[in-house]
Amino acid sequence: MGKGGNSEDVVADKEEVGEENMAAWLLGIKTLKIQPFILPPLGPNDVKVRIKAVGICGSDVHHFKTMRCANFIVKKPMVIGHECAGIIEEVGSEVKNVVVGDRVALEPGISCNRCSLCRNGQYNLCREMKFFGSPPTNGSLANQLPDNVSLEEGAMCEPLSVGIHACRRAQVGPETNVLIMGSGPIGLVTMLAARAFGAPRIVLVDVDDQRLAIAKELGADHVVRVSTNIQDLDEEVAIIQTAMVSAVDVSFDCVGFNKTMSTALNATRAGGKVCLVGLAQSEMTVPLTPAAAREVDIVGIFRYRNTWPLCLEFLRSGKIDVKPLITHRFSFSQKDIDEAFETSARGGNAIKVMFNL
Amino acid sequence: MGKGGMSQGGDEKGEGEENMAAWLLGVNNLKIQPFILPPLGPYDVRVGMKAVGICGSDVHYLKVKLRCAHFIVKEPMVIGHECAGIIEEVGIEVKSLVPGDRVALEPGISCWRCQLCKEGRYNLCPDMKFFATPPVHGSLANQVVHPADLCFKLPDNVSLEEGAMCEPLSVGVHACRRANIGPESNVLIMGAGPIGLVTLLAARAFGAPRIVIVDVDDYRLSVAKDLGADGIVKVSTNTQDVAEEVVQIHKAMGDRVDVTFDCAGFDKTMSTALSATSAGGKVCLVGMGHNEMMVPLTPAAAREVDVVGVFRYKNTWPLCIELLRSGKIDVKPLITHRFGFSQQEVEEAFETSARGGTAIKVMFNL
Repeated sequence: MGKGGNSEDVVADKEEVGEENMAAWLLGIKTLKIQPFILPPLGPNDVKVRIKAVGICGSDVHHFKTMRCANFIVKKPMVIGHECAGIIEEVGSEVKNVVVGDRVALEPGISCNRCSLCRNGQYNLCREMKFFGSPPTNGSLANQLPDNVSLEEGAMCEPLSVGIHACRRAQVGPETNVLIMGSGPIGLVTMLAARAFGAPRIVLVDVDDQRLAIAKELGADHVVRVSTNIQDLDEEVAIIQTAMVSAVDVSFDCVGFNKTMSTALNATRAGGKVCLVGLAQSEMTVPLTPAAAREVDIVGIFRYRNTWPLCLEFLRSGKIDVKPLITHRFSFSQKDIDEAFETSARGGNAIKVMFNL
Repeated sequence: MGKGGMSQGGDEKGEGEENMAAWLLGVNNLKIQPFILPPLGPYDVRVGMKAVGICGSDVHYLKVKLRCAHFIVKEPMVIGHECAGIIEEVGIEVKSLVPGDRVALEPGISCWRCQLCKEGRYNLCPDMKFFATPPVHGSLANQVVHPADLCFKLPDNVSLEEGAMCEPLSVGVHACRRANIGPESNVLIMGAGPIGLVTLLAARAFGAPRIVIVDVDDYRLSVAKDLGADGIVKVSTNTQDVAEEVVQIHKAMGDRVDVTFDCAGFDKTMSTALSATSAGGKVCLVGMGHNEMMVPLTPAAAREVDVVGVFRYKNTWPLCIELLRSGKIDVKPLITHRFGFSQQEVEEAFETSARGGTAIKVMFNL
């Protein structure tokens, strides 16, 4: 179940079929090493997947740089990565939904399915969640790819799921004008999702011109360049509201700073919603009361739930095209892994960095 | 329409006594003076006021530089908005009410033309004309003129004072609706003042199985216990104590915290609320303390704890009246002090209300 282990723990336990299974292990700060990765035995409901495409997420970079991400701390060597797709190589005895040779996208998190949150369908909030690349779980839930959806697009289902889940929680539809704070990978997948959910007008905001240009190419109705200076708040809110023409119904803060959240709260109309997607700061200083007194609700999101089928359908039908987000590609070698993480950490014109295995 | 005005020179009503009202003339300056009523429109009624309660916002206007949030009193204004009375005259198109009817008044007249009004969220109407929110005159007066559709008939077993209580009770009812309170919602309430207490009563009426209420004041906590709180927790004003207080709250609840109402609205109460509420739950910000708040928003958002805002109420009077009629809610214990309508008593009443402590709801009887 995604556990497996370091080959130093077990004596001479190699796979029967030829090559050893290798993985990218996070051994310490900025120390990634391709080393053997022993797979656990195949349970009756498990599949063995040959991974073909893996994207790098901001949280992977955060683990890489600091050995922690929010309250997740990496205490032992851990295989990195969770945005992935591959080809089924073996299926467990009870598996009925996929066969060997199937191309699949993987949903990373294994929830307990016993607690009240799981039983209520809110499994993304399960406290016993075992999630790829979140300590202590090494990098499930295999969803079959339609023929016209590539393995790279399959790997993109994971970040896209964040945007989809956010749009659901904020109830985006044909009558919701959407404002998105932050034009990074998450802001962009949120924009693609919002459009697919029918949002009539989408405005994106960022400090970086390059990223705003990408947003415009991907279909933003309007982009606004903003600063990191809190003094500019009121002026920027006015510019945003002018750009939207009509009222801002839903705002997504895909960054998560005081300024972006304050802008979102002030720019959103009475009775609207602000969805906090970006998890940057813990304590935030925001104008909460005036927003609450206009019944602007704040909706939080954590990862996603039940999103893969919808993501795959959007990709299959072409309603969403994630391919432009994949800006850099690397192969699975020690040198490429180090370069890939540096590229992703750099940001700028690097949106999604993808490994092809 | 609640406008009316100050009489400058000997302009008296046709029928004997002049209509008097409590005017806010300046900071700490309330004066009973004549109040000229506007003409009665076809859909209006003229109401003889009988019971008027004092709200925290009324006190705020009086004490704090004539302002409350972004509302500023620029000219003399009649105070008061929690009220009930007896119909004295009805406009020609009014069919639902007759003189002699006992009614509770919903204070706010919305425009019915804007998008928000048309969607039913009329409480958010930007052109709302609301008793005692400047520049609209309030209802601490002998008489007011008001739209008939905002006057709700009281059943025989509901008193005029209880009618006046419908206004603060409406805040609690609206908050419970916005937070989806039901038989599966364990509720935490920050603050055992008048608003925390009406929220407690409303939550119980909506079926909340467990309600824990917190405050810094022992007396108010004892009132909450008498009103049926399952658990009470005394807390401090010190932010360092948040983590420990969250532990005590969870112990008192003995179960998940599904919904928390912050009826105080400070950094600390909101931080406690966000930290104490279980994953997937809601925090409803009712109290309006500070504008900018410093709170642990992200950890809460990452547990999908939503923050729901509340502004006044909408379509709550019929439900409030029914809950009072059936006895499902009893607001009478909240009325702790009563005063008559004289200059001296008006001043004393506001001092009493401003003092807080053992004063929960201060009521005028006219």
